[in-house]
Amino acid sequence: MKRRSSRNLFWPQKLKPKLKSVIVLALIMLLLSISTAFALEQKQIFLPGETSEGHHLFEASCASCHEGFKQVSNETCNRCHEAELENDLHGAKKFRDPRWAEFREKVDVLTCTACHNEHVHMFGRGVHLQPDLCMACHEELTLTQLKSHEGFAPDGCWTAGCHNYHEHDTISTGFLRQNMGQPAMLPVQQLPERVVETELEAAPEPNLQKEFLGGKS
Amino acid sequence: MIAFMGSPKKAVLVIVLVIFWASSLLIGGALPASAATEQEIEEIVSLWQPSVHALNDVNCASCHQNNESNEFVANPDHESCLSCHEQPVETFLLGKHGIRLLEGESPLTPKIAQIPMKRDAFDQQMNCNACHNVHSVNTMQAAVDSCLTCHNDTHSLNYENSKHAQAVFASQPLPRPGSASVTCATCHLPRVAHKSADGIPTAKVNHNNTYTLKPRDRMVGEVCMNCHGVEYSYNSIFDDELVEANFDRPPTLNHQTFDLMRAAEERRVGNASVSEGAG
Repeated sequence: MKRRSSRNLFWPQKLKPKLKSVIVLALIMLLLSISTAFALEQKQIFLPGETSEGHHLFEASCASCHEGFKQVSNETCNRCHEAELENDLHGAKKFRDPRWAEFREKVDVLTCTACHNEHVHMFGRGVHLQPDLCMACHEELTLTQLKSHEGFAPDGCWTAGCHNYHEHDTISTGFLRQNMGQPAMLPVQQLPERVVETELEAAPEPNLQKEFLGGKS
Repeated sequence: MIAFMGSPKKAVLVIVLVIFWASSLLIGGALPASAATEQEIEEIVSLWQPSVHALNDVNCASCHQNNESNEFVANPDHESCLSCHEQPVETFLLGKHGIRLLEGESPLTPKIAQIPMKRDAFDQQMNCNACHNVHSVNTMQAAVDSCLTCHNDTHSLNYENSKHAQAVFASQPLPRPGSASVTCATCHLPRVAHKSADGIPTAKVNHNNTYTLKPRDRMVGEVCMNCHGVEYSYNSIFDDELVEANFDRPPTLNHQTFDLMRAAEERRVGNASVSEGAG
């Protein structure tokens, strides 16, 4: 009894025993819910916000994108998105050139997360910046000098579906000019044909039978 | 505090129980595979015999036996398919269907999708054999029927009313879609022209189902323009109603981009003739 009456910083004496038990119980509950979350693979409770479309399917796999508390790197994104960035218009090829370097101060175009953050509100296509983000660099050219774009809304470049930040293979002026006026159905409609070759005239004897009856895994 | 400190044994007991309970949940997943019956095996063998697998000497053991340990494998997964079908499996793992497997998670089930799915299929595990009948290797089934086992949105459900579907149903006896068939897979898991090692032109199927989905202009280039003109393609794919109806009629949209392009062309041609006149 004497020991308990001595000064204790962790449990101030004035705290009533009942309240102490409540705090202990709350801590146990917290520990329990965290361990349950881990045990049930329900790591979603650790997410700081809504996960973007597509990524939500593996949002419990934190280590897919995060290495401790380090910033998510381009390499992480490229593990899956390499194909989409093959002909990146705003990619390293262009922006490592000193002529374009000053624009990198406006938008850090060489860092994926500059536009594609995660667990925050998205304006579409996994982009968390305001939809008029193009204006950071293209305002003067498009809205004042380009006659055809007079009166266009500054947030419509990509949201209207006309421009694609990363690739313009099928949306560039050159491509459209070349293909305009085509009929609804092209003269030659050609989907690539699958060529399947076979080595044998007839099927061989199946080489496993009894194993399937056992049901061993 | 008195209650807690007074009985440290109880506290330890509680913690041990919690850990035991949590770990039992983790272990619970591994259930033994059920055995097949003689009749089931007969059916499977008859599906396999005329298949491309059988006629290329891909036998039961090719997939159902571990190469190194010779151990029997009841349910081969995508790793098994990967040993021959590298490109399809690798692209599958990058799309929504396969990404969970790439990240070491349990296979995707339609239950966690954010788009409408059929309730009966909620627990279907997305692996190669979720869509492919691996014994018949009939990819016609994988190109339409398999999709509709799970997908329950209006675009998918309207497929059979579309012109694309009519072309499929009117076609051919091959165990795979021909080059005139437009199936779900034609647009969402498209064939990509490819040359084999000895220079023979063939096609590989891009199993990354997300690649041509968004942005829509990527599908225009990769898929639509195999058959349709550029304006028809854009005016169709950017019309949400028409997409929902699964393209059951020609497009009515007039994408402003093309008016801009025409005006620019007129100016260009006009300027050219003016300078010619002046010259």
